Amino acid sequence: MATSALSMLKLGDVAEPELPTRDWVRVMPTLSGVCGSDLAAIGGHASLYLDPLTSYPFVPGHEVVGTLEDGTRVVVEPALGCKVRGVEPPCPRCAEGRPGLCYNVTEGPIEVGLQTGYCKDTGGGWGEVLVAHPSQLHVVPSTLSDEAAVLIEPFACCVHAALRGGATKDDIVVVSGAGTIGLLTVAAVKLFTPPKRLIAVAKHPTQRDLARKLGADQVISPGEVFQRIRFATGARRLDGMNKSLLLGGADVTFECVGRADTLNDAVRYTREGGTVVAVGMPGEEKVDWAPIWQRELTVMGAYAYGAEPKKKGRRAFELAMEAAPGLHLETLTGPLFGLGEYRDAIAYAMSAGRLGAVKVAFDLRGLRA
Amino acid sequence: MPRPGAVIEVDRNTPPVLFHYGEGVRLERLPFGARIVYPPDPLDAIAHPERAIKRALAKPLEDDPLKSLLRKGMKLTIAFDDLSLPLPPMAAPDVRQLVMEEVIDMAAEAGIEDIHLIAALGLHRRMTEDEIRHIVGERIFSTFWPDRLYQHDGEDPELNVYIGKTAEGEEVTLHKRAAESDLVVYVNLTLVPMDGGHKSMSTGLASYRGIRAHHNVKTLLGSRSYMNPPDSALHHSCIRQGQLIEDTVRVFHIETTVNNHAFPSIANFMQKRETDWTAQDQAMFLGMKQMTDLAPPAFKRNIFHAMRAPYGLTSVQAGQVDAVHEKTMEAVRNQLTVRVEGQTDIVTLGVPYLGPYNVNSPMNPVLVVCMGVGYMFNFYRGKPVLRKGGVLILTHPCRYEFDAVQHPSYIDFYDEVLADTTDPAEIEKKYELRFAEDPWFRQLYRKSHAYHGVHPFYAWYWAAHAMEHAGDIIIVGGEREVVHRLGFKSATTLEDAFEMAEQTVGRHPSVTHMRMPPIMLADVE
Amino acid sequence: MTWYSGQGGLTGLVRAAGRIADDVRRVRRGWHWDTPRPHTWPEQGAVVPAPASDLGWARQEPVRSIRYLIQRGLLLPFTEVMAHPKVEGREWVRELERPVIFAANHSSHADTSLILHALTDRARERTVVAAAADYWFKRPLLGNIVSLFLNTFPFSRTGGAQAQLHSSSQLLKSGWNLVLFPEGSRSPDGRIQEFKPGVGHLANETGTPVVPMHIRGAYQIMPRNQKLPLPGPARVRIGKPMSPQPKEGSREFTARVEKAVRALATEPRQPEIQGTWIERWQASKPRDLRYED
Repeated sequence: MATSALSMLKLGDVAEPELPTRDWVRVMPTLSGVCGSDLAAIGGHASLYLDPLTSYPFVPGHEVVGTLEDGTRVVVEPALGCKVRGVEPPCPRCAEGRPGLCYNVTEGPIEVGLQTGYCKDTGGGWGEVLVAHPSQLHVVPSTLSDEAAVLIEPFACCVHAALRGGATKDDIVVVSGAGTIGLLTVAAVKLFTPPKRLIAVAKHPTQRDLARKLGADQVISPGEVFQRIRFATGARRLDGMNKSLLLGGADVTFECVGRADTLNDAVRYTREGGTVVAVGMPGEEKVDWAPIWQRELTVMGAYAYGAEPKKKGRRAFELAMEAAPGLHLETLTGPLFGLGEYRDAIAYAMSAGRLGAVKVAFDLRGLRA
Repeated sequence: MPRPGAVIEVDRNTPPVLFHYGEGVRLERLPFGARIVYPPDPLDAIAHPERAIKRALAKPLEDDPLKSLLRKGMKLTIAFDDLSLPLPPMAAPDVRQLVMEEVIDMAAEAGIEDIHLIAALGLHRRMTEDEIRHIVGERIFSTFWPDRLYQHDGEDPELNVYIGKTAEGEEVTLHKRAAESDLVVYVNLTLVPMDGGHKSMSTGLASYRGIRAHHNVKTLLGSRSYMNPPDSALHHSCIRQGQLIEDTVRVFHIETTVNNHAFPSIANFMQKRETDWTAQDQAMFLGMKQMTDLAPPAFKRNIFHAMRAPYGLTSVQAGQVDAVHEKTMEAVRNQLTVRVEGQTDIVTLGVPYLGPYNVNSPMNPVLVVCMGVGYMFNFYRGKPVLRKGGVLILTHPCRYEFDAVQHPSYIDFYDEVLADTTDPAEIEKKYELRFAEDPWFRQLYRKSHAYHGVHPFYAWYWAAHAMEHAGDIIIVGGEREVVHRLGFKSATTLEDAFEMAEQTVGRHPSVTHMRMPPIMLADVE
Repeated sequence: MTWYSGQGGLTGLVRAAGRIADDVRRVRRGWHWDTPRPHTWPEQGAVVPAPASDLGWARQEPVRSIRYLIQRGLLLPFTEVMAHPKVEGREWVRELERPVIFAANHSSHADTSLILHALTDRARERTVVAAAADYWFKRPLLGNIVSLFLNTFPFSRTGGAQAQLHSSSQLLKSGWNLVLFPEGSRSPDGRIQEFKPGVGHLANETGTPVVPMHIRGAYQIMPRNQKLPLPGPARVRIGKPMSPQPKEGSREFTARVEKAVRALATEPRQPEIQGTWIERWQASKPRDLRYED
């Protein structure tokens, strides 16, 4: 249904995007990932909050590894902040190094849009060519294949989330959800803020194996979160009329699913005074605020990437590119589809967990034979 | 005239044998030449139990008559065994009730004001009011509950006092009320040779500190078996602890034994030998089998757990613990012993629906191991019926079902500990302390009706001897994943199990089926 | 899903029937239904002695076992759920060496279930209930159903003392406890009506003690004109067994039984006796004059 003739998503030939200013360059995508946010937009259950921050029609695709006209391999950092839009002086957030939180997304030579892939004038990864500001481009080292490079953007989000979550070595961390974001969060937490114990919550067998490979100490299934986390943290468990709660619990929880039931669980098994980081893009979900209030939880969003204060201002994207070769991220990418098979690609991506896949991507190499 | 136990060889004419399959029954054909060991018939019960009790209390063994020990103004405590005995629960009135009523009558006559009754449950779960009422009877319950009749709490920091250390360094703790009493009367029901004697006081009123001295892998591997106290390191340790207790508190032991008439007349076919089955027994079996095949689990559970055993009292003795226990052991052996000549390559057992730790709850997989690989395997004297390296075959549906109220620590034991390893020694080293000290399990043990956090470990250690002794253990009819998690092999039918066993014991192995329950003790030549 | 696909309800039934046939075949072959008992089988031994003589089909063996299942699995749990009956005085029925007559007030059809629920297992297995022949046994099927569930026998309300006595005394002599409702029929308003003298006759003739019982709450659960029972709390009190005095006539004894039942209706709860445990213990003693003979 989401990709039928009635859908908003169509395959077709459109005019190439024009270079907004002379410093912008053309990028020819090689591989372009399908992200949860793309699926939400296509499926119609993205939050309406994002509507004013998007300009239509747009070519989706913000997880892009491509080539420049001179053949250099680059990864695109999609955030369209002050620097990209040529706004001087930069807004406070861009000055901090957080282009994803830019105040000036309505300014500049391009239309409104938070990122490449949600903007009318930039084009996107699911097309033959897009345009990008030089500050958005990161050269891909030869140690990184295209299949690994396409995961740099999501990995950077997870690195940013891990650093924002700030788990210490005495903490017990729960990563809820084992899709792309969940698995990459497991890797990021293990690398940058290694905790005492990392528990991953995964539904499907492939996800469980990958979570363990990426460094989870323990993998549990969503139905048994309360029992297993209770045991791991030595907490007490009280059963209520609809859900249980723990007296005690995990110190930091990374919520990478973004659905009501997992969010509601997360606020009940994270300890009093603990932190819940919403990493995966949620929609308009009904979450019971009573546990958040009573347990004095810190609930924070982690969006995009930027300069990380905990890492002396280095940018998440760079940290991700550094760490990527050691993680063999290419095992997470697949299967690849041509643009013409977009309906199969979307359908596959929507059931990726069940079908044993993680990151479904479009392969655009065939287009430029 | 009750017949002694018998060993029968299977031939062409032998009827198929009843196998318990948890909450279910099947008929299985055993291969020709297999032996079936039948328990002795139930001995005749004492016709007038009250008279026998009165006599025992008036003429105790190596002690003064109870009446003379009761003086006005003294502190009296009566301790009694909990509902893990007898199995199935006894039809009212329970033998302990009769004994306690006699004792309390004497106490009332002597005018003793300060009297307490304690359910000596050790680290077992607290009983519900109805369950206590079933054991002690309505009269005692309504007179003494709840301030003078209560249950032992092994985790109460105030109520468990440290008594001392034995010569081997085993620590001994005791319930405070018992330690401070002028006289403790222990009312015991000895169903199997493991119960009674010094074990009563040293485990029933103890805490984790005292019990861990003998409930550990090393001691249990040295107990061959714990159903035969002279050969049991477990009992040697309990005896040392018990002697220390006897030096501290004056204890008057009253021990009773019952026959092995375990099933009511409706389930006679479970009690009787297959060759004795009348047409009615056969019809009852068919009815029961269809019901257990078709009925939902909760319904089945109600029916099975509602069965009350028409046990009859076979002996009662009172007085000094060693003298009393010797007589008790004699009576128990009298009822239970069957002579079995020689060991075999394969032993088959049908695991019943009820064990000491799942009264009124399902038998979870850990308890299946405790019952089948633990208790039932260890009902021997001398040598096990199974030769070393032989194959043990059990039948039980082995479902992943746990009672969240009674067995919360069992769930975590299955999910976390057994997922890691099934070796008892490793389990003890890595996990026991954590479970024993978990504050949630402690709270559930003290306030709810849950077994102590460490209890699943004991259930597992109980099977350690058999795990070491047997070459292979196969469970028939169980859920495959569950059986594999337990560390055993899974078979769908008994015939397949025999075939799998041939890999370990060779072709044409000798087979023995222990037709239990009713309980028996195999005396192996 | 087609009828031949192997997934439908019919296939399930056929499969179940096949299983049952298999089981029966196995038992048949195993126990040599068609041939004499093999001589290689050891001597037969009996575990449980045969029960005392019975009266009527409802007290014979397969029916007794089925009734056990029905009561345990259906009737008693249903009674428990509907009424959560509180029972006081169960110790009086704990060890009945001789059969007794239970005389209870009658206000509802629910009375019998409540009485059976209040008895101990051993007592219940040996208890038979007098049911009015003209009400229950007029239509044959109803009588059989009630006999199966509750172990009733027809008791004629009309006719003289002799007619009533015969079957009852036979049952009592065979060792069955008898449940009798001396009021004769259900009370129209819940209050205790005058007792008919039959109970006294029976006690005198057979020398059986009478245990008075009082049931409260049954009228609220299912009064006389109501078809379906409604849940409600119930309380069953069992009193001390009483036997007629040596020179006491049937009518006087019946009156005494009626007084005992009325006393049970109003008596406050026993264990509220203040004082030491010793006093409470002595007061609840059932044993010293168990049967006043």
